[in-house]
Amino acid sequence: MRVFFRNPLALSGLIIIIAILILALFAPLIAPYDPNFIDIDSILTAPSTKHIMGTDGLGRDVFSRMLFGAQISLLVGFVAVGIATLIGIILGSIAGFYRGWVDSLIMRLVDIMLSIPTFFLILAVIAFLTPSIWNIMIVIGLTSWMGVTRLVRAEFFSLRQREFVLAAETMGASDFKIIFSHLLPNSLTPVIVSSVLGIASAVLVESGLSFLGLGVQAPTASWGNILTDGKEYIQFAWWLSLFPGLAILLTVLGYNLLGEGLRDILDPKNKNN
Amino acid sequence: MLNKFLSTASLISVFLLISCSNDSYEAIHYKDNYLVEDGGEIVNAMIGEPSNLVAMIAGDSASSAIAANIFNTLLKYDENLNLAPELAEQWFISEDQKTITFKLKNDILWADGKPLTSQDILFTWKLVTDPNTRTPYASDYLLVKEASAPDARTFIVTYEQTYAPALDTWASLQILPQHVLKDEDINNTFFSRKPTGSGYYQLDQWINGQQLTLKRNRNSTQGQANIDKLTSRIIPDTSSQFLELIADNIDFMNINPIQYQRVFPSREDLKQRIGLYKELGNGYTYLGFNLKKAPFDDIRVRQAMNYAIDKNEIIKGVLLGLGEPIASPYKPGTRWNNSKLSPYPYNPTKALALLQEAGYEKNADGILVKDGKPFEFEILTNQNKQREMTAVLVQRRLKEIGIDVKIRVIEWASFINRFIKTGEFKAVVLGWSLSLDPDQYNIWHSSQQGPGQFNFVGYENPRVDELLEVGRRELDTSKREKIYHEFSKLMLEDSPIVYLYAGYGLSAINKRVQGIKKPAPPAGIYQNSFEWYIPKALRRNEIAAQ
Repeated sequence: MRVFFRNPLALSGLIIIIAILILALFAPLIAPYDPNFIDIDSILTAPSTKHIMGTDGLGRDVFSRMLFGAQISLLVGFVAVGIATLIGIILGSIAGFYRGWVDSLIMRLVDIMLSIPTFFLILAVIAFLTPSIWNIMIVIGLTSWMGVTRLVRAEFFSLRQREFVLAAETMGASDFKIIFSHLLPNSLTPVIVSSVLGIASAVLVESGLSFLGLGVQAPTASWGNILTDGKEYIQFAWWLSLFPGLAILLTVLGYNLLGEGLRDILDPKNKNN
Repeated sequence: MLNKFLSTASLISVFLLISCSNDSYEAIHYKDNYLVEDGGEIVNAMIGEPSNLVAMIAGDSASSAIAANIFNTLLKYDENLNLAPELAEQWFISEDQKTITFKLKNDILWADGKPLTSQDILFTWKLVTDPNTRTPYASDYLLVKEASAPDARTFIVTYEQTYAPALDTWASLQILPQHVLKDEDINNTFFSRKPTGSGYYQLDQWINGQQLTLKRNRNSTQGQANIDKLTSRIIPDTSSQFLELIADNIDFMNINPIQYQRVFPSREDLKQRIGLYKELGNGYTYLGFNLKKAPFDDIRVRQAMNYAIDKNEIIKGVLLGLGEPIASPYKPGTRWNNSKLSPYPYNPTKALALLQEAGYEKNADGILVKDGKPFEFEILTNQNKQREMTAVLVQRRLKEIGIDVKIRVIEWASFINRFIKTGEFKAVVLGWSLSLDPDQYNIWHSSQQGPGQFNFVGYENPRVDELLEVGRRELDTSKREKIYHEFSKLMLEDSPIVYLYAGYGLSAINKRVQGIKKPAPPAGIYQNSFEWYIPKALRRNEIAAQ
């Protein structure tokens, strides 16, 4: 933990993320209103003491919707990246451990997936499925595992030749045991860094999808769809664009700072500095 | 890393710029009256690029808006919505009411100087009814049994049986030049981008993806318009269009209720130089049910929905009051609207009673249940903010009486192809825009339920079928009125759809444009746009030159 304090970037990232996590987790306690409570007598009112972030086109409290939207954004981030990391680790381990044609096969699959523009692939898939938060998480997860696969495979390649692995092999340990007790724990550092950065991009993709109307469906709030509502009235109801915009920006910034900070901290080359 | 901070900083400064831009403005002093002056240019915006300037092929609104300035029809509607001459000078209906004879105006010309004769009308009719022409508008003209052009000024059509909307259809078929098109394949011709017409304007310049300019047609069959050039810029987003209107780069556009009720009243500078107009549109928004599927095959359930939805709240919340509740599929204030009918009032108690009658009971969680299954359904709508907000308000009211509603917003093409054409839906929020003739055979007759046809909700009522059949054959207006009043009454009882609202069309027009009728005539403010003019003192270039 102490290393964090020596790295101000990582620390600020961590603080931002923890703050947003707390706000999201305790949203039901903090939110002054039901996020879906419609009040057609106070449509698009500016921020005031009653509604600190103003109200939207149906008179709903933007602050409450932002809090509940944070839950969605963070959930999407974690679950999507969880899926991607899991797939990445499994495929990367297999490729890196067995090499040969299995490796070629998996790597070509990675190449194919990387050659498709991910956002458009997601758009196409969502257009066929019912847009729901679960589908979005799964689709984002299924389309963003390639980086992790490559990282794990590369780590495995270098670790495979090390003495402790050879020792385990000579002692007759099973492939499964070698992968899970020897190779994986030693290759997780880059995976953690890339996952944290991956959460940032998952949050952005979800916001993008919701902004295009293909994400979280009404009336559920997400930062992306609050932002869409705001787009219509940007010259008039600035609060509908400013707050979700800033929230997305801060969250992505937080994860990026944390990810890059983690990389510096975990990188053995930096240890002596 | 520095990059990220910089982008943060610049984003924040953009927001600051946006929020403090409307401090001072230079007031323009408008006179009460300006002399009509010839010339000038008017600029507007369109969402998309026109696909094809032959209206019978195109089918998108950008194309028809442009084509309407270039081509003429035989008849038109005047400002009071009565049929009036356009290319035809007079028309006669035979004793048996099956034959219409049109007499064309004398000495009318195409933009290229060639004479426009009844041969062109006959040619256009043959074109629209040709099975090889890919047009969705053929059906009305296929009812014509025989068409002929005995001399250059006479065009005669005979119908199999009397067809009341016949004259209306001749007010919408744009006449095309035979001498240019006789050897062309209308589906795929240079003409769709280089048309020759007979209307007030002709194509001047078309820059792909940017703008399209029309200039006055010196050979116009309708006399000369005042304004010399019409430029339509392609701006694919209505918020950007609005910014362009504020920045004085476009002269007029349709605006939304928020802009009309909130943005303009709060901005003195805008009110000063942009005029606002509203007029009730000829169309409505509705909640439609799939009548072929439970639970909406039960009339009590549909009536309950009607009682459970608060339409006034939707008008107030979504349209900021700029709409009217309706009880028939006709525009309020017209003769076809049955003024004795009134919308279902908001009455959740009555709704619950009807649902109980239909077999629903509230369970411990307050959810309505029938045969062990909770009452839940999905409302589909397309990507239209007003419809989405409407669905949210409907969802809230239905939840209050124990119905679980989900909302799904779908892109238009897949909405039509995957759900409407296949009948794979339970409820939709959609709208109808209607023509001026009261005939709604295509929408409500039980024969019109095939894939791609308009009665996709599956409405069947033998008496309604009969009325619709009689109505389109009856030429006596007061008899027709009675027929459609009865049709409206049955529709309201059966509730195949819940009428939600008829919205006002809202326009914002820069005050440099003069000659706009206020209050708007029944046909709308754009009806006399050829009489609009821009006084020299107010023209854009002239101001810039000073």
